[in-house]
Amino acid sequence: MDVRVTGDDLRTRTARERTQFRLLVMSGGFCALFGAVALKLAAATVIMPMAPEQRQIAPQVPPIPRSDPKGMLAGDFALPQVHRASVTDRNGQVLAISLPVAQVYANPQEMIDAQDTARKLRSVLPSLNEAELIRRLSTQKQFVYLARDISPMQEVAINNLGIPGIYFEPGERRHYPLGRVAAHILGAVDIDDHGVAGIERSMEKRLDSDRTPLRLSLDVRIQAVVRDELAAAKDLFQAIGACAIVMDVNTGEIIAMVSLPDYDANDFGRADPDTRFNRAVTGMYEPGSTFKLQTAAMALQLGVAHPWDRFSSIPIHIGRFTIADMKSDHFAPWLTLNEVMAYSSNPAAAHMALDVGAQRQQAWLRDMGFFAPVPIELPEAGRPIVPHVWGISTVMTVGFGHGVAEPPLAIVRGTAATVNGGILLHPTLMARDGAQPDDTAQLTPAAAEGAAPTLTPAVLTTPAAAETADAAAMPGAKRVISPETSALLRRILRLDVTKGTGKTAESPGYFVGGKTGTAEKIGPHGGYLKHVNIAAFTSIFPMNAPRYAVYVMLDSPKATPQTHGWTTAAWNAAPTVSKIVTRVAPMLGLFPNTTNPQAVDDAMAIPLEPAVPRGYRPLGPGNDPGDPRNQPKAPAREAAHTAAAQSPRARLHAARAEQTAQQRPVHQEIRG
Amino acid sequence: MNFQKRLLRAEPNFRILAKLWQVNWLYVLLICALAMVGYGALYSAAGGSSRPFAGPQTIRFAVGLVMMVCVALMSPRLLTRLAWPLYGLSLVLLVAVLRMGHVGKGAERWLIVGGVQIQPSELAKIALVLVLATWFHRVSYRRMVNPLYLLPPAAMVLLPVGLVLKEPNLGTAVIIGVVGATIFFGAGMRLWQIALLLVPLPFLGKIAYSHLHDYQKARITTFLNPESDPLGAGYNIIQSKIALGSGGMWGQGYLHGTQGQLNFLPEKQTDFIFTMIAEEWGYVGGIAVIGLLMLMVIGGMLIAMRSRNQFGRLLGLGIATNFFLYCAVNLSMVMGTIPVGGVPLPLISYGGSAMLTVMFGFGLLMSAWVHRNDHFGEAGDRA
Repeated sequence: MDVRVTGDDLRTRTARERTQFRLLVMSGGFCALFGAVALKLAAATVIMPMAPEQRQIAPQVPPIPRSDPKGMLAGDFALPQVHRASVTDRNGQVLAISLPVAQVYANPQEMIDAQDTARKLRSVLPSLNEAELIRRLSTQKQFVYLARDISPMQEVAINNLGIPGIYFEPGERRHYPLGRVAAHILGAVDIDDHGVAGIERSMEKRLDSDRTPLRLSLDVRIQAVVRDELAAAKDLFQAIGACAIVMDVNTGEIIAMVSLPDYDANDFGRADPDTRFNRAVTGMYEPGSTFKLQTAAMALQLGVAHPWDRFSSIPIHIGRFTIADMKSDHFAPWLTLNEVMAYSSNPAAAHMALDVGAQRQQAWLRDMGFFAPVPIELPEAGRPIVPHVWGISTVMTVGFGHGVAEPPLAIVRGTAATVNGGILLHPTLMARDGAQPDDTAQLTPAAAEGAAPTLTPAVLTTPAAAETADAAAMPGAKRVISPETSALLRRILRLDVTKGTGKTAESPGYFVGGKTGTAEKIGPHGGYLKHVNIAAFTSIFPMNAPRYAVYVMLDSPKATPQTHGWTTAAWNAAPTVSKIVTRVAPMLGLFPNTTNPQAVDDAMAIPLEPAVPRGYRPLGPGNDPGDPRNQPKAPAREAAHTAAAQSPRARLHAARAEQTAQQRPVHQEIRG
Repeated sequence: MNFQKRLLRAEPNFRILAKLWQVNWLYVLLICALAMVGYGALYSAAGGSSRPFAGPQTIRFAVGLVMMVCVALMSPRLLTRLAWPLYGLSLVLLVAVLRMGHVGKGAERWLIVGGVQIQPSELAKIALVLVLATWFHRVSYRRMVNPLYLLPPAAMVLLPVGLVLKEPNLGTAVIIGVVGATIFFGAGMRLWQIALLLVPLPFLGKIAYSHLHDYQKARITTFLNPESDPLGAGYNIIQSKIALGSGGMWGQGYLHGTQGQLNFLPEKQTDFIFTMIAEEWGYVGGIAVIGLLMLMVIGGMLIAMRSRNQFGRLLGLGIATNFFLYCAVNLSMVMGTIPVGGVPLPLISYGGSAMLTVMFGFGLLMSAWVHRNDHFGEAGDRA
């Protein structure tokens, strides 16, 4: 092998050495930058760490003093002298406030030099048009407006100019410092400071007569987090609208209520009407499967059904409708009540509703407030859309949440009543005074452990615990469900999250329970659209000792790769609830149970197919009151099913037999 | 001679074992160590559970590891041939994502092919490194004085940068630009040429700012003063700083970081995973992770320097720089030094797309190491 150094070799070597040198320089640069990052880390962790904000250590700031003789205090700063009271959240954070302003007017007859006056005025108010000012100041009138809504500082500055003939008219203007947060709840005032929407309108008298700040039940921190998560979900699933509610199930206080799209409360007049629409109380949506909770509640409470009773999930053909489940569900032909709730079968829920009967179903829903506007301090609360004729098909469709349209808040109210021991409450936006102190007991994680007994299974054995008594004492409260049925419904709702369609709502340590609901929207030509849905999830946490109801609804969500093409609630609304619960619970003073979550869950568990106790003959195959084969024999069941021939289920069977005889025309399908 | 025959001759079976032996297993060990840190952090992010983050991530890492070894066995000759088709494919995908991409948080960024999400901008980064290394491998240091030889590679950089800007994804566009620039520098661009280029830069910056989207401008302003919007865009930065501060010197203990475990810290399994590590393990743990990342970058640079062909050197440089930029941007972001933008911490954050591209990049780096003594088609040869 001969060693020759060619020019090419030399050049290759030069190139190599040059590149290697530059690589070395860059390595040095990388090291230096890593060093800088390490220094910054030292600064952030050890040298000058950022202290947690007060609110993260203590979830509640001190309450506003009850007696405030001058009516000038809100939290810790003085309010200016204005007529209309400010509105705060439950922690004293200002949501709406009136600030003093002045209108500037002049008497041109007293003017000495219009040109000089105009020039001087523009030095304080540069936005004014000089030519226009001179024109106004030179008129022969005795009164001309020069500027509106100037600040007190500008007023002082103009006064100091010492111009004769310039006067001020005191006034005030409403400001909403948090803009979009809670815009729908606060509403707006018109130019004369009269409320025209929201709390501003419903509380008009109170705000004008008493100058102490009006304290709402809202918690702005929770409201902001809920809005944040809901907006993220709305973006992710490209929904055309969304709505979320957090409510205290024992007091009816609304902690957060968000409707998207929203608007800046300071810009009410210019906001798009669609953004001003409060979906939580004005929007009427078919509740879909979330309504099965009511069907199950009435069936259990009236003694019509028990958890072990079975209902047929075979598609029902009635008229031109077919009530069926998704073909991909593959349900067993007979499902227990628990399975109907957990897997959400439409025909089975329809059968359950038939067993209750039209009369009792209507009475129940009326009692639960589903036929009237939700009682809430918002003038926007709308009247639900309820069918006039309550026929057999209405009984069935309403049983799984179609054929009626309810505002989301009504669903939340109904859900709260099923789990809080059976008390139907008036939801409210006003802070209940008695409701605050219990939070202060759980300021720190350490204190929360002290309060842990409330999260132990012991509570379950006494469903009518202390909080039920509290709930019953609330104004407008009435008992609609027995404590025992309520305790049973808690287990069933928890089952939906542990084993059923609501699995994605699970938030470890918080024992979320709830019901999914996906309603198909009605298209422009009538008829349901299979892939345009209202996806909702109504939930409660913690399920072992219910404190808060969390509801999320997405209007027309789209499929994403994560949802594998689905647009049903289990894929979008339920995971959003999970995200909200994990972020919001610590702020509400509830910390995840990491010590014995399994034990708590075991104590709450109820099997999907409960054993039938001795002495009961369960509904199901062979004991179907409507089955024509049973007709000749006298039905052995008690009151609810004595007259099987007249029972709605029997009538359905008759109708069905008639239809099978003549080729069934199927024009349309309903799915939940 | 046709391509396939040459391919077969260059890769006889018996050489595979020898090549496997040549893989820098120390570096692989380092990669595994970082992945283990990631497993631990994701286990904690799920509140002490391997679901839903840590388990799936481990499977992805295993897939990535196999892919890395396969890429490492490819010869540089083969890689230079693959560079152009790969670059072309990445451009096509970038155009496709603009036309029919899926929107995530206001920007078009990913495509779905057969149920798999792909981020074309990630692929573009690697393809650009490959294609630039191929170009400068063939253009000698001497020829680079002539700016005409710099124009085609400049176009190769600007094309993907422009397309990514259009998505709009400012962060990734800047990273692609910087990776391209470092390869120019490493290849031996003259200093006067660099100086000449730097003159119009502030000008371009001004134009670029005027084209930013509102949410991007909001990021820049909230970064300058995060407290101005504590409930909105500044929330993440403030929460991250609080979490870092609560970690202190030794940390709050594994699975016991209050800010992270109680969900005050947002996106703790992806962008803000380092914050969670630093909260639970303190300054000491944070420095250990930074040290590991630094070892990875410096190791990559050493591998680059050790190569006897220009292709390997520039490939190593590009991959190491790309990895460094990921780390630097993410770390600065969680400490509030630069505006927030969804850049994950490589190998540690939860996410499949980033993990696989990073592992593919390491495969290329490893190929440069395995074939460090190869000579082929270099500018110095009479070609």
